[in-house]
Amino acid sequence: MQNTLSQPKPGESYLLWLIKIVSGVLIFAVLIIHFLVNHLLAPNGLLSHAEVVAYYRNYPIVPIMEGFFLVFVIAHSLIGSRSIVLDLRPSPALMKVLDYLFIALGLFATGYGIWLLFAVINFGL
Amino acid sequence: METSKKPNTRGILDWFDPRGRNVGGWGFIINRLSAIGLTVYLYLHLYMLGKLAQGPEAFDAFIETAKQPAIMFGEMLVIIAGLYHGFNGLRIALNSFGIAVPAQRQLLYGVVGITLIGTVVFGVRMLTTH
Amino acid sequence: MSEEKWTVKFVIFRKKGDQPARYDSYVLEVDPEEYVIDGVERIWAFHDRSLIFAHACHHSTCGACGMRVNDVEKLTCITKIRDVTTNGGTLKIEPMRNFPIIGDLVVDMTRMYAAMDRVHAKAVHPLSAAPLEGEDIRPPRDVPRNNGNEYLRLADCIECGLCISACPVAGTAENYLGPAVLAAAQLQGLKHNPDLLDVVDCADGLWRCHSAYECTAVCPSNVDPGWRIMDLRRQVVGERLKRWFVKA
Repeated sequence: MQNTLSQPKPGESYLLWLIKIVSGVLIFAVLIIHFLVNHLLAPNGLLSHAEVVAYYRNYPIVPIMEGFFLVFVIAHSLIGSRSIVLDLRPSPALMKVLDYLFIALGLFATGYGIWLLFAVINFGL
Repeated sequence: METSKKPNTRGILDWFDPRGRNVGGWGFIINRLSAIGLTVYLYLHLYMLGKLAQGPEAFDAFIETAKQPAIMFGEMLVIIAGLYHGFNGLRIALNSFGIAVPAQRQLLYGVVGITLIGTVVFGVRMLTTH
Repeated sequence: MSEEKWTVKFVIFRKKGDQPARYDSYVLEVDPEEYVIDGVERIWAFHDRSLIFAHACHHSTCGACGMRVNDVEKLTCITKIRDVTTNGGTLKIEPMRNFPIIGDLVVDMTRMYAAMDRVHAKAVHPLSAAPLEGEDIRPPRDVPRNNGNEYLRLADCIECGLCISACPVAGTAENYLGPAVLAAAQLQGLKHNPDLLDVVDCADGLWRCHSAYECTAVCPSNVDPGWRIMDLRRQVVGERLKRWFVKA
């Protein structure tokens, strides 16, 4: 009998999957808002730098919404990418390295995104 | 007799090979492809948005290049991927909590239908407003 | 038996040991009402005694004769030739995917049998967990009930492995429990078998499933592993969340 056959081991559990599903549903909701706000309700559809900055400054709820959107998308995308990688069943040692890389990428992308939101709002000030 | 330990599979190719598969197998393939596509798009989009911090010259110049047909076609692919992945994701979320599982195949057809209709709507919008 | 005779070309996957794989072709006269396994057996009997293939009961009870026929997973003893080809057509016969090939059409089913042991798959289940296919089917006579509660019946799963062959993920995830095994776990229920919680709630268990439902599509025996895996997801989340609130 193979010893490697499904011993309970770290690498995935219900929690990460649950976060993936919940973040996915939240993305669905916020994406609709993101589209309406950025393309339908915004004057001219935000096609120039000046419009974006003015819009974000006048309606602070928009960058706040974008911030949440960013976190949901990065969480969902990275957990999903991790699932695809796990389907290839890398060794536990390699998976640990990959997990650190995923977390690092997630933190970096989130940090960059939040910084960018502030940079846009404060542009020229 | 020596048994090869390697299972009879072509690995990743079998993820994406639709031959012999039922509609659910196609559903899995498109879901995974759209996931990968949207992930690539995510980082491209974040990079593009970085131009906002560089100022009006950088951003506005980029918006001009984004009106090329090649880029617009790429954006259509993103719309298709987003529609399919989102609605199929909702279907899987529902199924995973015991809702509508006997109707899962019909739901998949519905997802494909919504994706096609949405693609046409967005496509028309894109072609008429630019 | 009808007198109709078809001419069908059987293209059979052959592989022995470390030799490269090849396909051997045999043109047979068959009755289209016969089953695919009958054609394979006739090839072995009259054309090539070195062909190895698994078969036993010939009536969809033992689960031995699973193969891929024209790229689709089939239980060949109940697959009529008429349903998979035409007169003058071709039947490509290959072993199941995602198991190691012992030779020709025979695969090593250890991954499934070992995993079935791991979830201590039961031979019988209450009727409510494993209802008979079709509406309002009832046992034909008084049969013993389970502690006076419910009828028991033999589990539907014949352990043929077609679901594992059809699963898109089982190839890359070699230790994935697989649909048949997860279905066997679901039939027992996590509430009454909490030891199964850790077995299924892990990387090689439940979370390798990506809802392709290919398993349900090819199962010859009414197991419907797809919905059972969905139900198991619900059970796992329920049981795990409960433990956060009820420190037992």
